Amino acid sequence: MRAFINKIKDMSNRQHAFYVFITFCFIISIVFIYHNHSFYDKPIAKVTETSLLETTKTTDEHHNEDQLFTQHITAQLKNGEKKGKPIFLTNEYSSSGAYDHKFTVGKEVFVSIDKNTDKEGNLTGKITNVKRDKYIVIVAWIFIFTLLIIGKKQGQFTIISFIINILLLSYALDIYVNYTNTDSLLWISALLAILFTFTSLLFINGFNEKTYAAIVTTLFGTFFSLFIAHLAMWLTSENGLHYEEMQFLTRPYYLVFMAGLFIGSLGAVMDVAITMSSSIFELYERNHGISMKSLKKSGMDIGRDIMGTITNILFFAYLSGSIPMLILYLKNSSSLGYTLSMNLSLEIARALAGGIGVVLTIPISLYISIFFVNRKREKS
Amino acid sequence: MNVLLLLAIILFVLMIFIGGKKGIRSFFSLFLNFAVIVLTILFMLDPHINPVIITLIACVLISYINLLFVNQINSKTIIAFISTIVTIVILLLFINFITEITMIQGFGVEESEELAVFSLYVGVDFVKIAASVIIMSTIGAIMDVSISITTSVNEIFHHNRSLQKKDLFLSGLNIGRDILGTDTNTLFFAFFGSYLGLLIWVKDLSYSYGEIINSKIFSTEIVTILCAGIGIALIIPITSWISASYLVKTKQKS
Repeated sequence: MRAFINKIKDMSNRQHAFYVFITFCFIISIVFIYHNHSFYDKPIAKVTETSLLETTKTTDEHHNEDQLFTQHITAQLKNGEKKGKPIFLTNEYSSSGAYDHKFTVGKEVFVSIDKNTDKEGNLTGKITNVKRDKYIVIVAWIFIFTLLIIGKKQGQFTIISFIINILLLSYALDIYVNYTNTDSLLWISALLAILFTFTSLLFINGFNEKTYAAIVTTLFGTFFSLFIAHLAMWLTSENGLHYEEMQFLTRPYYLVFMAGLFIGSLGAVMDVAITMSSSIFELYERNHGISMKSLKKSGMDIGRDIMGTITNILFFAYLSGSIPMLILYLKNSSSLGYTLSMNLSLEIARALAGGIGVVLTIPISLYISIFFVNRKREKS
Repeated sequence: MNVLLLLAIILFVLMIFIGGKKGIRSFFSLFLNFAVIVLTILFMLDPHINPVIITLIACVLISYINLLFVNQINSKTIIAFISTIVTIVILLLFINFITEITMIQGFGVEESEELAVFSLYVGVDFVKIAASVIIMSTIGAIMDVSISITTSVNEIFHHNRSLQKKDLFLSGLNIGRDILGTDTNTLFFAFFGSYLGLLIWVKDLSYSYGEIINSKIFSTEIVTILCAGIGIALIIPITSWISASYLVKTKQKS
């Protein structure tokens, strides 16, 4: 306890203010998220009682066994004209829960209220969605606190640059959707990529030569890797890519895919660029007389070390999201080959293109960092 | 010719050209990782095995391949391996809880058209599968952080063998903090890239903020990003502590 108090005393006023501010935001947002029902137009109800009505076993045409349950739910309306009144709902769910949910007491749901009441004059209705906002906000706070406690200042910067990037992305997409024609997506994402590179790298590393070298590298690396991906797609006339797997399309699939590829590899390329340039500058700072040859050799060694792991980060991030869909396909008696090629072709293409970007960035980064080191050497 | 084949060949050539032998190993590890993912999915088809346990075994295999096979077995990689597993277990428990309360399993209303041809009552537990998806998307970054920290802490200890456990732990934390920003960035952008279609969709159909945050599809993506960040942060103190304790202990013995 005493250590804790001393720690608080040690903190500067600015830090103090920051922590007070964060705690304040935390409390306000939690209070708000628990009492925001009146801000929604759709009726919300809180489950107060559930009872299991019946259980049936099912077997589908692919011999998958599952259990279906019907539950009666009594819930209390939390907003709208009928606030406070009970509503009776019926919910069907399965033990696998691919598309349905089991509700327990205390859960909040969006409902549609039937026009006519039942014989006893009670309100009835259907569940349309789950109210997830409070859980999302709580997870977001766990994220923020974990990053602040473990990452301290760097954690703070990570959160701030993350928020700025989300705002940039959202704003750019607003402009795209509202003001420009469909084809401009690639231009907008190129512009976004440049902005992202500046905000992220400057935030993580500050204004110095390392960062400038990394920014130049990132821009070259991303554009090169995109060019190679584009060339490969053109040469093979996109044979083997199943665009039909793309979900949520309101725009031409090719544009969305290329723009996604662009932004997706950007982070990995930045990671390589900043790691390489920091290490090369570090080597120079430690020994100003270091020869060009040994700088190159050490730089390549570092590149070799990070190449595999960073490609892996991309690989897992892209491929894992398809697991539920793959399971559904396979459970519906699709063959393994068909399932994989239908669902993973775009993800694998993205991961490979990202990997190419990562590997290409290593030599680019090496030479650009050395160029900046030499410039610094001449100055001093 | 197939695009994927051509891209794979380009990547292979570049990796050999730049990475030499290590490049070949890195490229092969991608294939092995892919094989592990496919195997994991095949095991998940059996409704009698708990998907969380399958995920855990898959994570052990993946860490083995990427830490011990690619970088070869030595005290550094073994520490990174143990730290990764410890973090994964903690994270898996946390994420399993989160997927249960947020009900983000399976598929959303937006996908209903596509799902019409499928039978959805297939018997596997999609809540647990949702948890395993999140873990699997993060494991690459978690391994990256742990191997970087163990390598650097080892290096620091070799230069100055009089360092105490606490000093080593603190320098581990410092190194971790430096990678925290870049690694979360890598993941964030990878996710942004793959969700781009969804983001444009949401804007095109002018979803309100309330609809966005409560929709299953979107909250799944948000929870994945947030949990990935939590995982990357969590591995930092765990790896630093394990490497610091190990190094100090082995010094006392010798």
